[in-house]
Amino acid sequence: MSLRQWMRGGALRFLMVFWALAVLVPHSGASAAEDLGTLVTELGAASLSKKQAVVDRMVATGAPEVVPILEALVGRDLYTRKSDGVVVIGQKTSGGKLLLTDPLTGSEVGTVGSREVKRIKTNNRLRSSVKAVMGTLTLMSPDPQRRLEAADGLLKSSDQAMLPLIETALAKEADAAVKNALQLAKASIKLQSGSAEERLAAVQSLADRTDPESRVMLSRLLLKDGDVWREPDETVRETAGETLASMERRLEMWRTVEHLYQGISLGSVLLLAAMGLAITFGVMGVINMAHGEMVMLGAYTTFVIQEAFRSLAPGLFDWSLAVALPAAFLVSALVGIAMERGCIRFLYGRPLETLLATWGISLVLQQTVRSIFGPTNREVGAPEWMQGAMESVAGITLTYNRLWIILFSFCVLGAVLLVMKKTAFGLQMRAVTQNREMARAMGIPTGRVDAMTFGLGSGIAGIAGVALSQIDNVSPNLGQAYIVDSFMVVVFGGVGNLWGAFAGAMSLGIVNKLLEPWAGAVLGKILVLVAIILFIQKRPRGLFALRGRAVES
Amino acid sequence: MSLLQRLYAPQAQEPGKGRLASAILLTVLAAIAILVPLLNLTVPADSAFHVPTYLVSLLGKYLCFAMLALSIDLIWGFCGILSLGHGAFFALGGYAMGMYMMRQIGDRGVYGNAELPDFMVFLNWKELPWYWYGFDFFPFAVVMALFVPGLLAFVFGWLTFRSRVSGVYLSIITQAMTYALMLAFFRNDMGFGGNNGLTDFKDLLGFDLQSDNTRAVLLASTCVALAGCYLMCRAIVASKLGRLIAAIRDDEARVRFLGYRVENFKLFVFVLSAMIAGLAGALYVPQVGIINPGEFAPANSIEAVIWVAIGGRGTLYGAIAGGVLVNYAKTVLTGVIPEVWLFALGGMFIAVTLFFPKGLVGSLPAAIDWVKRRIGKRNPPASSPLAEEPGQ
Amino acid sequence: MGKLTKWKSALAATAFGLAATAGMGAAQAADTIKVGILHSLSGTMAISETTLKDAMLMLIDEQNKKGGLLGMKLEPVVVDPASDWPLFAEKARELISKDGVSVTFGCWTSVSRKSVLPVFEELNGMLFYPVQYEGEESSRNVFYTGAAPNQQAVPAVDYLLGEEGGEAKRIVLLGTDYVYPRTTNKILRSYLNAKGIADADIMENYTPFGHSDWQTIVAQVKEFASQGKKTAVVSTINGDANVPFYKELANQGIKAEDIPVVAFSVGEEELAGLDAGPLVGHLAAWNYFMSVDTPENDAFIKAWHAFIKDEKRVTNDPMEAHYIGFKMWVQAVEQAGTTDVDAVRQAMYGQTVKNLTGGVAVMNTNHHLSKPVLIGEILEDGQFEIVSATDDVVVGDAWSDFIPESAKLTADWTYPWVCGNCEKPRF
Repeated sequence: MSLRQWMRGGALRFLMVFWALAVLVPHSGASAAEDLGTLVTELGAASLSKKQAVVDRMVATGAPEVVPILEALVGRDLYTRKSDGVVVIGQKTSGGKLLLTDPLTGSEVGTVGSREVKRIKTNNRLRSSVKAVMGTLTLMSPDPQRRLEAADGLLKSSDQAMLPLIETALAKEADAAVKNALQLAKASIKLQSGSAEERLAAVQSLADRTDPESRVMLSRLLLKDGDVWREPDETVRETAGETLASMERRLEMWRTVEHLYQGISLGSVLLLAAMGLAITFGVMGVINMAHGEMVMLGAYTTFVIQEAFRSLAPGLFDWSLAVALPAAFLVSALVGIAMERGCIRFLYGRPLETLLATWGISLVLQQTVRSIFGPTNREVGAPEWMQGAMESVAGITLTYNRLWIILFSFCVLGAVLLVMKKTAFGLQMRAVTQNREMARAMGIPTGRVDAMTFGLGSGIAGIAGVALSQIDNVSPNLGQAYIVDSFMVVVFGGVGNLWGAFAGAMSLGIVNKLLEPWAGAVLGKILVLVAIILFIQKRPRGLFALRGRAVES
Repeated sequence: MSLLQRLYAPQAQEPGKGRLASAILLTVLAAIAILVPLLNLTVPADSAFHVPTYLVSLLGKYLCFAMLALSIDLIWGFCGILSLGHGAFFALGGYAMGMYMMRQIGDRGVYGNAELPDFMVFLNWKELPWYWYGFDFFPFAVVMALFVPGLLAFVFGWLTFRSRVSGVYLSIITQAMTYALMLAFFRNDMGFGGNNGLTDFKDLLGFDLQSDNTRAVLLASTCVALAGCYLMCRAIVASKLGRLIAAIRDDEARVRFLGYRVENFKLFVFVLSAMIAGLAGALYVPQVGIINPGEFAPANSIEAVIWVAIGGRGTLYGAIAGGVLVNYAKTVLTGVIPEVWLFALGGMFIAVTLFFPKGLVGSLPAAIDWVKRRIGKRNPPASSPLAEEPGQ
Repeated sequence: MGKLTKWKSALAATAFGLAATAGMGAAQAADTIKVGILHSLSGTMAISETTLKDAMLMLIDEQNKKGGLLGMKLEPVVVDPASDWPLFAEKARELISKDGVSVTFGCWTSVSRKSVLPVFEELNGMLFYPVQYEGEESSRNVFYTGAAPNQQAVPAVDYLLGEEGGEAKRIVLLGTDYVYPRTTNKILRSYLNAKGIADADIMENYTPFGHSDWQTIVAQVKEFASQGKKTAVVSTINGDANVPFYKELANQGIKAEDIPVVAFSVGEEELAGLDAGPLVGHLAAWNYFMSVDTPENDAFIKAWHAFIKDEKRVTNDPMEAHYIGFKMWVQAVEQAGTTDVDAVRQAMYGQTVKNLTGGVAVMNTNHHLSKPVLIGEILEDGQFEIVSATDDVVVGDAWSDFIPESAKLTADWTYPWVCGNCEKPRF
């Protein structure tokens, strides 16, 4: 339900808006209501710095049409028509043109190309203040998301005049997030314009929080402008300082949690990238330098699938990744099988050359992709459910895309383990790994098993590409960025062991992220690499060394 | 035997072979060292026999890469140690020489500071870091170009060979080593010029680096150094020590059981190889005019290994040929077919691997045999046919 | 066996054939003027540089359609230095000595420019360098058509500190660890100090090239911003690392209205690789934006789309730099009546070309351009909306006034100075 529909919804709502506007009137200082039409034209012509004043005067008219106009302004949908300078609201049509409507009446006034109108410019400052003004207008919206935005706007403006409105809204509010934001806004207003007692109470009301906004508020109290404290009252200052210190203490623990989360998330990315390698390199002994390119192919498959979705079924875009997963697996697996059958197969007798041949293949694959898709980055979108972050947990941020990737990597690991341990193919694969001649003597078609194993490893790299497309560049160089790390993970964990790859990826990820805050990104990584080198001296065959005859021979 | 073990199985030829090849190689090097500078300096530019200057520095660069390939072949072809981090030793040697030439700039830098290189002035450094001391002295820089890579190889090898890290694990941690060094040298705080590295060199031992004479001398010295290193490597692999090294490659455990301290021999060859790589780097930098952390990139080291394989592993002269050949191909292809040269280069790697398992040069003796048989059909086959390696 | 050998001989024959053709190399055609294009077409920088190669090919093609230059056709010579810095030097030498190009357009990264610099100076070549860079350099043989720090970084920070930009009081300087961000941030730090922002309110952080895991740093920025003062981020993060950086920003919920990020290396091309939706409102400072509505720009975009045969391809600032550089070179050659480097250099000074964004670009005697500075906000479609523009063109400064060692140096290649880094005139 758009705001405009809601506005037209009934007299009661109209009154509500009008009441909210009425609160604003004395504040903005305009005495007589001006003609909205003139003001809108003026808004179109005003320079960026003058627009704020025009917006204030528009709000002061109290006309309900102001809301959709301001909404269009913030949403960058407000234009002036070049032919006659009339201000219009434009909405993109499917044909790339703009459907124009009159901002005052809402009636359609034609469709034009985008070069025939000029967007009315806004900047961050203007949008932020307009959003704050709009907060007062949309605070009673039935949509909780809208109310949340409104409350955030109120927090930003922290205008004393809004206090009664916030109190009314607080009393009715059921949604926890909105309530939270409203309380913050209330505290912020009190801190800025309340009496010393009220300020003290506001500081105390923030004691249980750790979120960045409340920390901003408190630390602001402790600032000095020249020699003058911003907060005149010493008790308030002291309480604020103590509260802030206790917040920091609590936060310290949460930060460790955050670093762990980041570490696990980096680890899961490494795991995804390395798992395929653990199979082709660990199980088959092929130094597959083209492994990174299999990841890249997966990412490009995602891009192609998403393009198809965009043009054929834009409404189902959120499902594109679900289609991309099997597609990427298939594409990479097929390329992998083709590589194995066409090239690597001939090298099993003298496998040292796999390094060379696969390096050649990786160059060819990179250039192929560059020739087909161009050298520039390609856009891979994120579905709705992978955007944003869980923010509420004590001021630390857990992003959804990382969360999904962590879950996803565990699922893939589980699936691969199942294949290896529970299927006939897995059994054959392990048999060939442990003793090729014996396996062949037992009637296992080693050639086919080799091809399938290589296909499986490559396919897993492909689905890793789907996940990586969500956090990294989709470019021909994508694979190169992960190949060295993947080798480190496999060697650190122990060649030929999926659990080793898991342990390797997780420990490297976590150690890296715990080091990063104090050592910096580069030094942290160097330390991790040196640690790997030293670790291998202690355990020359990695964390989980294979035991048995295969190792001894 | 699993695939992993086979990966490091012997493939080299017997070291005694290849006298003819050595003779050819040394003749060619001598010819380059004498003829190319002569044709460049004395023959007028419009003559058909004139060798243009850009070819002189190009040849110099190829020969430096060839020396790097030689150093890799010594440990890979004869000792079975596959190092994917040899670019690190090359780059360290290059940095040592670069630091000397940086000090030679003196007050001719853009900020005119006689004491500090430009990038240090720029980062607000007040005095020269201690590790830059001594680099204004040429012999010191040359010693460092050998010593620093040698020291790194010694420490790395001492740790690694003693704890019997071998095979693929060794390869990957050499890669980790060069990768870590790359990241470290990228840091501006390290005091080696960060991403830009060292550049803007003016002269070497007082000779202008941009003059044709200096270039010619540099090329000739590279030829001499390469020939010297080649002869040294050849002498080593032909000696008793060489046989022992080959024995280690073929069966390390057995040699150990015979009472040899295997790790000491490996360490010796590894350190020697690193020093050759360092020398190559030191000769490389004055000829290309820049040294930067990109030289540490793992991909560069892998590529150097590929030169060896393309030329022919375990032959020494094959590695040299491979280094020159692949880089020549790169020069030509990036100029003639800039848009698709990677197809050609990648295709070449794949094709050589599949069809010339002993490398291009390494396959020559067999190819000559084959041609002889084809023409004369008199001699019985002297060696096994080309593409059919005995199964292992 | 027999089959295999045939293969081998075929392969060998191809190899030899290839080498032979290559050896003959570029057959000399005397009735053309050769223009070298030295941009990486493979490796890490191909992402940015390939577009510039195409843009140059288009400009040369257009010029040829107009009848060429001095009655001769222009002939592009494209080589691939493959993002390999020593290879840049080798290719530059090859272009000048072997192919005999009259001028070269190329390089992107600072290190590639540093690598070819001695070659151009030794062989007296002419290079047009189209990318915004750190300054602190003025070579007789290079024309810098990208922005110097005072044409990009300083106006952008002015905007952030000003009322329009939100009056930032704390600044985070994020960059990739190489010379351009280091220099820019050094200049900015001293500029910010001069504007009354203490060192405690400046956070500086460097990451390696291609850094892809931004979780920690974005969290640190959030933390830094939660100290009660309005905070803004100045980003000199290079190329590849930007996409994961912005993705992380968006996911951690940093909105432009709270913590605006102004970037100097993010343009239309970089944004084409990601969903710009969550980035709306973040800023970039350039001398050109594709969205600028002028007839020249419309024509340029139309020509570009027609040339590249893809309506979706964008134009960006370095492309405009090449456009200006190429036009200037053409005018200078016509004025000099020859392609001789020394004559053309003299003719370059004071050469003017209409910017695609309106106004006129002038080549100054320090080999830098005078260009307008624009600040744009990212829009949903990956384009920029200009929120601030300098009233007049800004003269590119080779030596920054905010670095003490550099402030005393002057670059002027005309009499009586004839010097790139002197404290007093040579003559």
